[in-house]
Amino acid sequence: MDGMEEALIFSQSFRTEKDWVTLLCDSSRTGGLGIRALKAPKRARWQLHVGNSVRSAPIFRGETLYVASLSGGLHAIDVQSGRTRWKFLAGDQIHSTPSFCGNTVLFGCDDGKVYAVDDNTGTKVWETAASAEIWASPTVRSAVVYFGSADGWMKAVRVENGTSLWTRQLGGRICSTAYAAEGHIYVGSGDGKVYSLDSSSGDILWEAATLNGIDSSPVIAANTVLIGSEDFFFYAFDANTGTLRWKYETGLGISSSPAVFDDFAAVGSKDGFVYVLEVQTGRLRWKTRVGQAVTAPPVLSENAVCIQAGGTAALDKATGKVLWRAGLGASVQSVPVLTGNVIYVASVDGEVYAIE
Amino acid sequence: MDRRGFVKRTCLGSAGLFLGGFGPNIQEGILLPVPPPIQVCGLKDFKTSPLGMPGLFPGRVVQVSDPRSIAGNRVSQGIIRRMLELGMKELTGESTVRAAWLKFIEPTDIVGIKINPSGAPACCSSPELVREIISALQDLRVPPHNIVVYDRYEYEMDIGSYQTLLPPGVRIEGIQEGFHDDSGYDPKVYCEARFFVEWETRSYMASLVAHGLTKIINVPTMKDHSASGVTGCLKNLGYGTFSNVARSHRAPYSFTDPLIGVMCSVEPLRSKAVLHIMDGTRQVWHGGPLTQAQDFIYPAGTLYLGTDPVAVDTIELEAIERKRRERGAPSVWDVDPKNITANPEEFYRDPAKNLFYRRPGHIASGGKLGLGISDLKHIDHRVLAG
Repeated sequence: MDGMEEALIFSQSFRTEKDWVTLLCDSSRTGGLGIRALKAPKRARWQLHVGNSVRSAPIFRGETLYVASLSGGLHAIDVQSGRTRWKFLAGDQIHSTPSFCGNTVLFGCDDGKVYAVDDNTGTKVWETAASAEIWASPTVRSAVVYFGSADGWMKAVRVENGTSLWTRQLGGRICSTAYAAEGHIYVGSGDGKVYSLDSSSGDILWEAATLNGIDSSPVIAANTVLIGSEDFFFYAFDANTGTLRWKYETGLGISSSPAVFDDFAAVGSKDGFVYVLEVQTGRLRWKTRVGQAVTAPPVLSENAVCIQAGGTAALDKATGKVLWRAGLGASVQSVPVLTGNVIYVASVDGEVYAIE
Repeated sequence: MDRRGFVKRTCLGSAGLFLGGFGPNIQEGILLPVPPPIQVCGLKDFKTSPLGMPGLFPGRVVQVSDPRSIAGNRVSQGIIRRMLELGMKELTGESTVRAAWLKFIEPTDIVGIKINPSGAPACCSSPELVREIISALQDLRVPPHNIVVYDRYEYEMDIGSYQTLLPPGVRIEGIQEGFHDDSGYDPKVYCEARFFVEWETRSYMASLVAHGLTKIINVPTMKDHSASGVTGCLKNLGYGTFSNVARSHRAPYSFTDPLIGVMCSVEPLRSKAVLHIMDGTRQVWHGGPLTQAQDFIYPAGTLYLGTDPVAVDTIELEAIERKRRERGAPSVWDVDPKNITANPEEFYRDPAKNLFYRRPGHIASGGKLGLGISDLKHIDHRVLAG
C-alpha cells in the first residue's frame, strides 16, 4: 500500500462521502471530488454573522458547519437552521482552517496555540503551544498532528493530548499546510524551499529550492509533490528525492494550493487564471481566466473545477469552459465547501452563507 | 453639553485646531465644491520630533533607477538592495549604509513599515523592497518583534503574501479585521468634517500608530488614483492610518484635497513618519489604485527616497503626468465633464475616462500645512543610476 492509498483510507475512516473535514475536503486534498452534482446556486438558504472577518475555510461534517473567525471564535453551525450549536472562544485571531480528527476539531491560533475542541460539547480537550502564530491548518495522520508556525518551526504532537513528539526549525515562515504521507511530511516555507521531513523524527529528508517564498500547500499525486511558489512557477518534485520533475510558469505568484483529480492537478495563480496540468508531464490541459487574482485553492466536483475569485466560478473539468458564475462579491475569498446542492462560503466581513 | 461638544472644547484647548480656507476650487472654469473646515484632535501631550515631516532633508528627493530591478514582473532582490543602499547614502550624505540608517532609527525603536498592498498582486509595495528595509533595520540591531509591517486591511496584505515572504519574527498587522471593525483606532485622536451626508463625521487614528510605534518608514507605491490624482507618500500614510476615509470622495467629487494632508499633519503621525521610500519599480499611470491591467502598469524600475513626502509626491506626480502624456491620456488635473464616467468598467478600460474630478492639489495643500515643499523650483531632485 503506498502513502496515497493509506491517506485516503485514513481520511475516509473519519468521514462520509459528503463530509468536508479539512482543508480541501480530506487528507488527500481531493477538494471534494466525490460531489456528484454541482449546479449554479440560486438563492441563500441562510446567512449568519460570526465576527468581524473570516479568513480561513469552513469545514463540514454531518449536519454541522465549522467556521473560525478573526474574532477568535470557532463556530459550530447547524446547517439546517443556520443557527449556532456552540461557540468556542480562543485566545486570539484565527487564520487557520480547522481539521477534524475523530470527534475533535483542531485549529491553530494567532496566540501560538493549537486547540483541540470536543465536537459534542464545544469545550477544549487540550491545547499545545508553539512560539508564534499558527496560520496553517493542522494535518492529522496516524494519531499525530503536524503544523507549522510563523517563526518557521514545524511541530508534531500526539492527537490524544497534544504532547510534543518533535519540533524542527525550517528557514522561513510557515503558512503552508503540511501534507502527511507514509513516513513523510511535506511542507512549503517562506524561505522558498519545499521540505520533506521524517514523520517520526522531524529530520529533514530533502529540501528543494524555488526562487521565492511558498504560501501554497503541497499535494502528492503519482509519487510527485505538487506545489506553487511566489516565483510564479508551479513545481513537481519527486516525493522520494526532491528531484525536480517539471515546473510550469504562470503570470504571477502562486499562493493557491493545488487539488488533484485523475491524472491532473488544478491550481490558481495571482494572474487570474486557473490552470489544469498533467501530473506526469506538466503539460497544460487548459487554463481559464476567472478573476483578477486567484489565491484560493480550487475545489472539485464530478464535473467541475470550482474556484473562488471575486465570486464563485465553476469550470468544466475537461475543457475549462465556464459553466456558471455566482457572485457574492470580492468580500468572499475563502474556499467554498461543496455538499451536493448547497455551497457554504465565508466572507471577509464575517458573514457565512449557505447557498443552494 | 453633549459628548461631541465636550470633546471639541477639550481638543481646542490642547492639541486640536480647525483647518479651513482650502477653497474655492476653480479649475479651468469648473467650480468644484469647497471643502468644509476640518477639526483635528491630535494626541495630547505628545512631544513633537525634529525627525517628523518634512524631516531632516526638506525638499530633497533621491531617485535611483535601474531597469534591471524589474523583469517580467519579477523584482530583483539583489538590485533593489544596491538601489536602496545608493539612495540612502545619497539622501543622507553618509559614506556607509549603516550610518545613513542611524540618522533615522535607533536600536530601541519600534518601527512601523507602512506598506501599500491595495493594488496587489499587480502593483503593491514589493516584498523584496520590504525585506531589504527589514534587513537594514536588523543590521542596526532592531529586534524582529519590534518591526511591524502594517496596513489597514489584512486581507489585502494576504493577497501580496507578505505573511509568508517576510522574515520570521517580524510582526505583520492589519489595523482592521474587517470592513466595519473600528476596535483598532483611538477615539481620542481624529479628524472631523462633514463632506457629504455621512453619519459618522470622524476619522480616527490607528492605535498602533498613536501608541504602538516610535518611528514609521513609509513605503508607498507609485500610482495614479482616481480620486486624489496620485497615491504616493501622503495618501499612503494619511489614508492608511485613519479610519472611515472613503467618505471623503463620492463620485464625481472628492475632498481628498485637503483631507490627505490634514491627516498627515496630525500628531503623532507627523513626528513618527521619518522616512519615505517610494516603490516605483512599477508605475501605475491609469486605473489606480486597484487596477490589475498590465497595459496601464509601466515597469519603471525606480525608487524615490526622501524625508519630505510633499517633495517626493511632487516628483511622482510629474512622472505620472509625463507617462500619461506619452500614452495620450488626459492630465490628472483634467476636469472636463465629458471625461467623467459613472461606469467603473469604462474607467478601467479607457485611460481618457475617470470616476472623479481628480484632486492632485492635495500635495500642494500638504505643503501649505508645512509637511514639505511642492514647488519644483525648490526641490533638490537628485537622479542616480543603480
